[in-house]
Amino acid sequence: MSYEEGTHLAHRQHVKYFMRFLNILPSSLSSHDTTRVTIAYFSVSGLDVLGSITSVSLELRSRIIEWIYFLQVHPNKSNGDMSSCGFQGSSTINIDLDEANSHYKCGHLAMTYTGLCILLALGDDLSRINRKALVAGVKALQTPEGNFSATLSGCESDMRFVYCAACISYILDDWSGFNIPKATEYILKSINYDFGIAQCPELESHGGTTYCALATLSLTKQLDKLSEEQVEGLKRWLLFRQVDGFQGRPNKSVDTCYSFWVGASLKILDALHMSNYGNNKKYVYETQDCVVGGFSKWPDTCTDPMHTYLGLAGLSLIGENGLLEIVPTLNITNRAFEHLKAIHRNWANES
Amino acid sequence: MSESGESDIEWIFYKDRPEWRDVIPVPENDGPNPVVVIAHSEKFEDVYDYFRAVLQNNEKSERVLQLTKDAVELNAANYTVWQYRREILKALGTDLRPELDYVESVIKQTPKNYQVWHHRRVLVEWLRDPSQELELTCDALLQDPKNYHAWQHRQWAIKTFGLYDKEMQFVENLLKEDVRNNSAWNQRYFIVNNHLGWSDLNVQREICFAMEKIKFVKNNESAWNYLRGVLLHDKRGISGNAVVTSFCEELYKNKCRSPHLLSFIIDICDEAIKKGESSSFHGPDRAIELCQALCTKYDKIRCKYWNYISEKFKKVKREQEEQKKQDEADEK
Ligand SMILES: [Zn+2]
Repeated sequence: MSYEEGTHLAHRQHVKYFMRFLNILPSSLSSHDTTRVTIAYFSVSGLDVLGSITSVSLELRSRIIEWIYFLQVHPNKSNGDMSSCGFQGSSTINIDLDEANSHYKCGHLAMTYTGLCILLALGDDLSRINRKALVAGVKALQTPEGNFSATLSGCESDMRFVYCAACISYILDDWSGFNIPKATEYILKSINYDFGIAQCPELESHGGTTYCALATLSLTKQLDKLSEEQVEGLKRWLLFRQVDGFQGRPNKSVDTCYSFWVGASLKILDALHMSNYGNNKKYVYETQDCVVGGFSKWPDTCTDPMHTYLGLAGLSLIGENGLLEIVPTLNITNRAFEHLKAIHRNWANES
Repeated sequence: MSESGESDIEWIFYKDRPEWRDVIPVPENDGPNPVVVIAHSEKFEDVYDYFRAVLQNNEKSERVLQLTKDAVELNAANYTVWQYRREILKALGTDLRPELDYVESVIKQTPKNYQVWHHRRVLVEWLRDPSQELELTCDALLQDPKNYHAWQHRQWAIKTFGLYDKEMQFVENLLKEDVRNNSAWNQRYFIVNNHLGWSDLNVQREICFAMEKIKFVKNNESAWNYLRGVLLHDKRGISGNAVVTSFCEELYKNKCRSPHLLSFIIDICDEAIKKGESSSFHGPDRAIELCQALCTKYDKIRCKYWNYISEKFKKVKREQEEQKKQDEADEK
């Protein structure tokens, strides 16, 4: 790696990188077949953070928006049931199904969340969203323990989907599908003896799930449910994740994505300024591919859209030049967030 | 997957199979404006065209069971395929034992796939038979001792079916292998918390265990965190257990300056102050001095954090001094 590569953002290359992913992907990515919306999210939001949302032509913009709306699952035509509502991650099961199998055509919380983020970043007014249905779709997925499954058709439930459900409820400005006390109880139970937070109670603390938990507490205005001891314990656990970049768990290797997951968690706790920006930045840049664009989790390994987006988002959190500011809880740019606030005002006026 | 290259030579598309002639394939409808299009192989498209068709026809048969295997091989992350496979297994009343072997082989190929582990869990729930789960997860953890999916499945099986008996031995072996394995430390806590209980005896034993391991590798965050976790169950806290405090001071005297040791002593000071038991040894001055050392020498990367902690102790110190002045004034 040359000296140059270590120091600046290969801005133009990253824009091209995301534009490629928005277009067509090689067959080697077949395992992402059901989660194409997330790839679109990393790309669109990535362009947004780069301040390059205008690189998306009007034609492409409308294609993306139409495609997302095309993946919206509407209430059951015969009985009005809304429990399957949400966004699908792709068209793999985008077919008409009769009553017996209708539950297979259903939304997925991570796809609904990232689909909404895409629409916001592209400046869509969300007017074609069936809000009531999406909220009912969220409600159908909360478990008795307080966490959420991703879909109706046979899926695990954990902290990731608590977070997605919270983001959806926040964006739709409707919490009637999200039992806040139950979810809070689940999160508090998942705080570990080292004060990190796990995917579910008693599992190992993890940077990604700690982010999901803290962002949820913030979006639901429940951060005050953490004791002072827990807040201080979390700050320390999170800050100790920094080696040069950040690791996700004690004694594990550093990975670019944790510059966002851990960085944003610290930001939510108003403690990011106590981390070392210089070392963090240096590590993230070591994982940058200056030639074709993109970031990878480790230096000199394969880049991917997720680590590229999260690398940029992580840099944005520490105020890197040339990047738009990120809202740490929703993981969208401030620009997209302002647009959301305008939509919320419109909704409030309508009702 | 490993064998696909070899088997592809004899691969016959579903559309060319006489026994499938009665089914009309359903191509993917990606709408008029698709983006993020994956250029799937012809095989992928063929298999999924037929999968959509059987889902639409609600066909549950042996041949569809085979079709779902082909679909999984092409994309093990497709949760719909797995769910439909489960529905077929149920509808046909298929013997689930071979299914356990099958999912085990898929887990071996894709050990970090949520859907596969979920399938395994549902099968075990149906069978109410966890007899293979410890071995299965042990194999996965030999490959990657920190595989989160494997640990999650293992904890679930242990908790649901009460399989604690040999778990402590398992954890000890892992820690012998790698004393920094944080997942193994977490599992140790899990066993004591759910099974052995935090009796005084157990608390003391776990404290000794952690201290032994710290002596072995002093800068091991996992062991320090565990020690702190165990002390949550000691009524005397982290400042009142003489065994622990003298262990720390001994390390310090022997020139150990691990940030974990220093931060532990800072916490002892903090607790002593809060309990009103602060001394010159465990009081604000010592804590401020340690914060300073961490900031400038032993943990520079977190310098700002240690300054922040230091400020809290400086405030305490000011308050203590105010109080002292006040007391003196009152006496006069
Ligand atoms: Zn990563």
